[in-house]
Amino acid sequence: MDQGRKRYRLKDSQVGFLLVVPGLAVFSGIILYPFLSAIWMSFTDRSLLFPQYGFVGLKNYQKVIADPYFTKTLVTTMVFVVFATILPFVLGFIWAILLNQGFRGSEFLRGLTLVNWIIPGTAIGFLWSWIFNGQYGVLNGLLVKLGLLETGIPWLGQTQTALACVILARMWQMLPWYMAFLLGGLQGVSMDQVEAARVDGANNWQVFWYMVLPAMKTIAILILVLGAVGNLQHFDLPWTMTQGGPARATTTLSIEVYTTAFQNWNMGKAATIGTIWAALLAVFSFVYLRQVNESE
Amino acid sequence: MKKRMTAMAMAAVMAAGLLTACGGSETAATQAPAASEAASTAAPAADGGAGEDAGTEADAGSGEKANIVWAGWSGEEEASKDIFQRMMDTYREQTGNDVTWVGWTWADTAQQLLIRTQGGEQLDIAQVDIGIFNTIAQAGVLADLNEVMGADYLTENFQQAALDVGNIDGQQLGLPWSMASITMVYNPEILKEAGWDTVPTTMEEFEACLADVKALGGDVIPYAVSTKDDTCAGDFAPWLWTFGGSLFDESGNVAVDSAEAVSCVAWYQDMLSKGYIAMDVGRGEARQLFAQGKVAFYDDAVLAKGQAVSNGVAPEDVINVCAAMERPVMKEGDAPQSTMWGHMLVIFKDSQYKEAAAELAKVLVSDEVAMDYFENNGMPPVTKSMAESDAVKNDAYLNSFLKSTETARLEETARMTNASEIKSIITEELQYALLGQKTAEQAVKDMAARMNAL
Amino acid sequence: MFRKTPAFRVFFWVFTILIGGFVFLPLLWMINTALKPSAETFTLDFFTGTKTLENIWDIVSNERIMQYLKNSLLVSFGSSAAATLVCAFAAYSFSKFRYRGRKLIMGMFMMSQAFPQEILLLSIYVLMQKLGLLGSYGALLISYVVFTLPVGTWTLKSYFDQVPDSLIESAKIDGAGNLKIMLRIVFPITVPGMISIAIYGFVWSWNDLLYSMTLVTDTAKRTLASGLVMTFLGEASTNWGAMMAASIVAAVPVTVIFIFLQRYFIQGLTSGAVKG
Repeated sequence: MDQGRKRYRLKDSQVGFLLVVPGLAVFSGIILYPFLSAIWMSFTDRSLLFPQYGFVGLKNYQKVIADPYFTKTLVTTMVFVVFATILPFVLGFIWAILLNQGFRGSEFLRGLTLVNWIIPGTAIGFLWSWIFNGQYGVLNGLLVKLGLLETGIPWLGQTQTALACVILARMWQMLPWYMAFLLGGLQGVSMDQVEAARVDGANNWQVFWYMVLPAMKTIAILILVLGAVGNLQHFDLPWTMTQGGPARATTTLSIEVYTTAFQNWNMGKAATIGTIWAALLAVFSFVYLRQVNESE
Repeated sequence: MKKRMTAMAMAAVMAAGLLTACGGSETAATQAPAASEAASTAAPAADGGAGEDAGTEADAGSGEKANIVWAGWSGEEEASKDIFQRMMDTYREQTGNDVTWVGWTWADTAQQLLIRTQGGEQLDIAQVDIGIFNTIAQAGVLADLNEVMGADYLTENFQQAALDVGNIDGQQLGLPWSMASITMVYNPEILKEAGWDTVPTTMEEFEACLADVKALGGDVIPYAVSTKDDTCAGDFAPWLWTFGGSLFDESGNVAVDSAEAVSCVAWYQDMLSKGYIAMDVGRGEARQLFAQGKVAFYDDAVLAKGQAVSNGVAPEDVINVCAAMERPVMKEGDAPQSTMWGHMLVIFKDSQYKEAAAELAKVLVSDEVAMDYFENNGMPPVTKSMAESDAVKNDAYLNSFLKSTETARLEETARMTNASEIKSIITEELQYALLGQKTAEQAVKDMAARMNAL
Repeated sequence: MFRKTPAFRVFFWVFTILIGGFVFLPLLWMINTALKPSAETFTLDFFTGTKTLENIWDIVSNERIMQYLKNSLLVSFGSSAAATLVCAFAAYSFSKFRYRGRKLIMGMFMMSQAFPQEILLLSIYVLMQKLGLLGSYGALLISYVVFTLPVGTWTLKSYFDQVPDSLIESAKIDGAGNLKIMLRIVFPITVPGMISIAIYGFVWSWNDLLYSMTLVTDTAKRTLASGLVMTFLGEASTNWGAMMAASIVAAVPVTVIFIFLQRYFIQGLTSGAVKG
């Protein structure tokens, strides 16, 4: 009986591959095929208006690169991605540490914190555009009442502050996500080792620096990378709050792609921006993968 | 032990989730042909048993009767969804056909219609905004209503001017449904307070009036012209015309790089520096503030009154604080400028049920249904017979809009496929000028350069 | 984890107030708005003026919105469970097995969030139509599983990496098969990680707007995010009070679930099997 079974037993490598098959199957259908067809699209004049289209070579690429605002869009995207990733990461980390202390009600607070994250993006967009509104905004109302301001500031209506406001709203939305993952990571830190170090006289700072941080390194890098990629994709908040304005101050790649594809109907050009974006990301991911491989 | 229980619980939850999800999708797939049934049974309880009736009727008809798909946005919106249910019930009763509603938001309708037509899903008739009508028409997916509904029916029931809006190169691709203009709306009480018993008719008077309103103090924005989102370019156009400029010349070349356009942009800059207008104001903000009595003038369509009410103005007071006027002109005798606003009905070329769809269109513009739509949602009807009705004739508010409509023009970009690209260029460059990052001359020059590069 | 030294106490209180304020004040404002009568929506009073349950009641008694909520719960639970399972299998494979093409597949999964979804939508729409899934929850389910894939597999892989190989080796010596080791030994001790992914997958589908609006057009099957936008974000009007009220009402069941799931975080911890 036992022997009979063994004969059919799969090799480990086969088991390993079989486990990836479901993921690979949906991936190929939903991402790979559309992705490849989008790359093809970037060499055509495909429009959402007409089913027929033709090959145009590198024309879309020339147009995108010649656009005087493209560099600005890249810079805006970079600023958005960096700040909207780092800031909620730091605050989320601190918040996770505080909530991990296990005081009364901390468990409840963790659940409550997640609420921000499950409120539909559009509603969050409206909430924060209202907070920052120049005429009837909550923030202006508060500042005027406190005597810090005489007349309201149109936070979303000036280039200097609009992007910062959008980043703040994004931070509010995503802080719970960083908190949840980092909390998961914190709970993976061995308490036995911490206790042992305490016995050896380690203080809080040393525990954090020499034990918690190294133990959290993988998960921290992971969520930073995933957070950054998510922010690159992010569309809801800048769209509902500012539509990319004023004067393109909050136009990120994602907004640019959306307007190109769904307002200007130029799928070819949108796919071109997408392809350039994927190429930039590929460089980014390559660096990350190399690091992961090294650590293996 | 604990571990195992957790794992089992997890697995159970997952399995349950998978099962329900798969079950959901399976039933969904098999029910797809009968989707109308699901839609009508899911209709709000408000419309009583009508949903059930329609369901059984459709069953009985088996094949003979058409089940058409009608797409748009108003059937989704809280303010009009009940009226749309009634419209569809009327259609079911009168024709014995069935109709399924498919809806998105107003802003997404063009994109969703295009995706749907390219995907080849059933789509027979749609509600489209005048602003997206041309886009859909250019995609070559619309049927010529002269053939589907008959030219006689159209000319008998509609004014030629209204039909022209839906006519592209001799083909009647859109049927006018609701039509008026986007003109200026004002708050008579604020004007009175500022010492103005009549509305300003020239630019000179308008600026004096804005100054008087500003002098009242408080946090009133004298003129809440749009300075952001897609409404910004829309508001700019009639002012550009008022200054004598235009985006394109008669042969279609970019003509925005003109002295008139520069003075128009400079006028915007001047108004902003004097605090007559404000940044970060779109149509939504303008309506909110107007309803709170914090805006003296803004630009809007005939929907303005309903908006003021839904933003908190008491229905019996609305007439005192919300009225429409013609846009001021440079010198007396000039034609006041405004842009056309409206909704149209279109029928799709590839539809198998063009006749059934045409019947729906006829039901929608019929007096009884149009009156319901007008009285309960404020939508201005377009047929000749409705224009003669007392309800329309005696509506002073509507008539001030219809007066502006006489001289209203289609947006210059209305027949262009890249309309929204042009509009976002105008909005962005105008914002650069307003934020002091470009001079009026530079902004206008860049507008022209970018429009030429398209 | 940290001792309550005076310095830590200061740190604790400063950041509790700072972050707590940042996180919860806007939320309270939202609740405050939902409780205002619609005529006073834009007043600046903070829990001081007239309070009414009118908005909340309108939402709860609105059958359409309740239907959207039900649909969203169904789709989100389904895709969250499916995604967690698919990701866990793939991640376990990446972590504990070595085979040809492994790194390539890992890289590809990573990249699946690297392309703007707006562009993929058109092809996915056509694909779903060919598969006959258009208008069904299946279309959403599959899409959401894929969009959870990069985060899911890479996170879970890092969890599995922490499970010592010695644990697996000793189980093998005891005669346990691959499947048994995975399901009975490794998965249970990585429950916190799985919950994180389940939550992530849940929220992804909960919040998605573009795909749900495009792939499912039947009102009866619409999910909450697109349903709310369509109901309250009109051509002419935006009903803020109702939108806030609806968002809060919708958040309640999910929050309850999340608070309940916190226990599993703790259980995963107390099982204490992960010792690096």
